[in-house]
Amino acid sequence: MSWIREGELTIIERFCANIIKAGPMPKHVAFIMDGNRRYAQKCHVERQQGHSQGFDKLAQTLRWCLNLGIREVTVYAFSIENFKRSKEEVDGLMDLARQKFSRLLEEQENLKKHGVCIRVLGDLPLLPVDIQELIAQAVLATRNYNKCFLNVCFAYTSRHEISNAVREMAWGVEQGLLEPRHPIHAWCFSQSCGQNIPFGTCVKLSFSSR
Amino acid sequence: MSGAGGLAWRALHALLRALLCLQRALLACLRGRAAAAAATSCALLAPAARALGFREARAAWRRRGPARGAAARGRQRWRADGRALRKLPVHVGLVVTEEEPSYADMASLVVWCMAVGISYVSVYDHNGIFKRNNARLMDEILKQQQELLGLDCSKYSVEFANHDKTGQVLNCQSALKVLSPEDGKADIVKAAQNFCQLVAQQQRTHSDLDVNMLDNLLSSTNGFPDPDLVLKFGPVDSTLGFLPWHIRLTEIISLPSHLNISYEDFFSALHHYAACEQRWGK
Repeated sequence: MSWIREGELTIIERFCANIIKAGPMPKHVAFIMDGNRRYAQKCHVERQQGHSQGFDKLAQTLRWCLNLGIREVTVYAFSIENFKRSKEEVDGLMDLARQKFSRLLEEQENLKKHGVCIRVLGDLPLLPVDIQELIAQAVLATRNYNKCFLNVCFAYTSRHEISNAVREMAWGVEQGLLEPRHPIHAWCFSQSCGQNIPFGTCVKLSFSSR
Repeated sequence: MSGAGGLAWRALHALLRALLCLQRALLACLRGRAAAAAATSCALLAPAARALGFREARAAWRRRGPARGAAARGRQRWRADGRALRKLPVHVGLVVTEEEPSYADMASLVVWCMAVGISYVSVYDHNGIFKRNNARLMDEILKQQQELLGLDCSKYSVEFANHDKTGQVLNCQSALKVLSPEDGKADIVKAAQNFCQLVAQQQRTHSDLDVNMLDNLLSSTNGFPDPDLVLKFGPVDSTLGFLPWHIRLTEIISLPSHLNISYEDFFSALHHYAACEQRWGK
């Protein structure tokens, strides 16, 4: 499967995995996709190549997570702030997304085999319509799978997600589904953002320290 | 955890902890010896005479006592340090993740922030200890102002911007807020409840709510800009609920502890902030 690299672990990887699994393991890991452009500069390749190789490394990382029994993974792929980049770069990233989501839809048997539920979180109307359609198809096709969960954050910022959650609650009040005197709890926000389990670990895939 | 895998995990964990302790010990040793390297790392301050002065002052600051070296160093040097940086944060958050906070050390950090010209400072710990003992912290800050800045402390006066105690002093140059977890997620929840109440009363519709409106509904940091920099003290790799809405673009620098922190460590963090490249998503 293109999003999760095929193939078993090497002997050394299996040995390390067995040691790591003996200790406490996070149930949910988040990855921040950062550093693709710096990597491209370091290797003297085009930025687009950097982004593509970043995706390949993500696929390998998702394989490791599957082998380690980590059931939920969140990937921060594209922030609303990233729309500020050059048109060429944004178009290149959208093309990459188009390619990867299309490929995902061709691998439905594998998604079923691994029981992967795909969720895409973000302000999706900001994306090109054809990508929205591909995302919708992927999410609908996998909505009943529950062995593991892959959350892809695409066109997100924390403030947009929090505001969307409040707007949904307000809609619930308008529709008479919620009463304002019912205590709104912080738990409601995580449910509105589509998370099953809070993060155990957040990993930033880059050299920088923030 | 059982069996050979468990034993191997424990061994690996112990080895990693030992290596980490060794690294910290080596760094502390190098920092103690390499005064020249520290002065070089502050090359932004440049002229050599000032670098030498800084080295002497740093040695003085390491000695805890009434003189502390600061009064001798001169108030102008503090401001000069701040002005010499390529960029100075407007609002610094001091986040303590350790279980036992020190009022004296936190007061030193606050006073140093004020002295180098940082306009807004917020103090936070996840147990709300500083907030509950606000008065004690303020007393310590006023005492350290006197001690570190000498007699002319009115020029560096601090306005305590918490709701329960406001003490405005003439020529206020810095503002301080003492925060706790209730100013983080709980403030967002309260804003959500208030908005839903307005919707129930048909004063608003759900589509009225956007990022700007929710920003205006939050009350924990009224009058303060978003933090540019968070100095996080302690071993926990988390900001433990410090202003989650406000720190979307904040640079976060981790320091091992706030206990017995030196001006050199504090300024080194500011220097690190000044040197960092912030692309804001671009």
